[in-house]
Amino acid sequence: MKDAHEHLDKLMQELRRGTITIGVLSQLSEPQYGYSLVTMLGENGLHVEPGTLYPLLRRLEKQGLLESKWDTNEARPRKYYLLSKTGKEVYDLLVVEWKSIVTSLNHVIEDKGDDVDGDG
Amino acid sequence: MMSMEMVERYIFAVMQKLPQSQRKDIAIELRGLIEDMLEDRSGKNHYTESDIEEVLLELGRPKELADKYRNTKKYLIGPELFDSYLYILKVILAVVGISIGVGFAIQVVINPVNILDHFVDMIVSAVTALPMAFGWTTFGFAMGELMGNVKKEDLQWEKEEWKPTNLPPIPVEHSRVKRGEAVTSIIFYAFFIVLFSFSSDYLGVWVFHDGFNGVVPFLNEQNYGTYLVFIILILGIGILNECLKLAFGKWSYKLVLYTTVSNTLSMAIILFMVTATDFWNPTFMSDLVEVNVLTAGSEGYDTVNWIWSRVTFWTIVILILSLVWNGIDGFLKARKNK
Repeated sequence: MKDAHEHLDKLMQELRRGTITIGVLSQLSEPQYGYSLVTMLGENGLHVEPGTLYPLLRRLEKQGLLESKWDTNEARPRKYYLLSKTGKEVYDLLVVEWKSIVTSLNHVIEDKGDDVDGDG
Repeated sequence: MMSMEMVERYIFAVMQKLPQSQRKDIAIELRGLIEDMLEDRSGKNHYTESDIEEVLLELGRPKELADKYRNTKKYLIGPELFDSYLYILKVILAVVGISIGVGFAIQVVINPVNILDHFVDMIVSAVTALPMAFGWTTFGFAMGELMGNVKKEDLQWEKEEWKPTNLPPIPVEHSRVKRGEAVTSIIFYAFFIVLFSFSSDYLGVWVFHDGFNGVVPFLNEQNYGTYLVFIILILGIGILNECLKLAFGKWSYKLVLYTTVSNTLSMAIILFMVTATDFWNPTFMSDLVEVNVLTAGSEGYDTVNWIWSRVTFWTIVILILSLVWNGIDGFLKARKNK
């Protein structure tokens, strides 16, 4: 059984990697700083470690999906991230793709392969 | 205040692993994050040392956090270069290994008595040279990876787009180039190159009277230096031919054309050498008599003399026949592939 859990951990890690990005993009139509995102996602049941999220934000910014701005007015300086124009487009497309994956996978899982319709 | 010291140490440790250009930015961000996490845990400004420890533990090892920021490889040679690396490594190890083997064979031929010493020499060279070749190749590729300026494309030979319709047909069994044969030929050519460059002393009739006591050479020792260049050239062409065969993998008209051209070239060189009057050992017959292999005037002497006087003619005949045969054979094999 321990073996199965090890496999699960590994697979879940792979599975999460992509979904976290969607989760992050979904929250950034309004500017957010890193830790507020961790909290927001956590409240919605998506647990992201800050050590994963912060580097991810920087990467998405580097790729041009996010824009950032330092807010130095508060007690401690914070970097706020916001979807860029490209980021917005990519996010909308990504949502469509994601929904189609969910539909297909649900279909496959529920049917458990009983329904054989040709090669498809 | 002691406890904030721990935070600073943590941030410092992460920064050490990051490129200079990103340090300042990430440091500010990270400090903000840690403070946010602390606040979240215990309310404003009331965190204890154990709170800080927990937060830092949650962030994980500084090195791992830095790795996530860099998002870069944790490998010596990445998947982009790995195929090329393996290929080059195999070639280099093969060349080094074969050279050591050939070196051993030559030493044994030249001085068979000390075979054990030569064997030990071979083992020693193998143990030192092979790891060295491995090490340097790996080092070279690791540097390429590190500098990051060697792209996969630079190392790819086929640049054009790949299409399934361009897949070459499976060669007919008979017309495949046999790798074993080609590799064996290369080893032999290499062996002879080294043997010839060592000395012409061993190309001739080996005389045994109570053990080995000398060779009556076929070739004219005086002009050997001049001919050596040509001989090595011919053997080099031979190696090139075998490499071509390996590269093509199967017989095709193009390959036949290449090999025929290079074979003709080698033959021209040989013809030029052989027909020059001073190629063969002019005192071959008398040398044989001198070492008591033959007695002047005997029947054996006459036979050998008859053969020796026609050696040029027969060399040429055999060469032409083999050239023609190679050409026809290759052509027939290539035709099967059409």
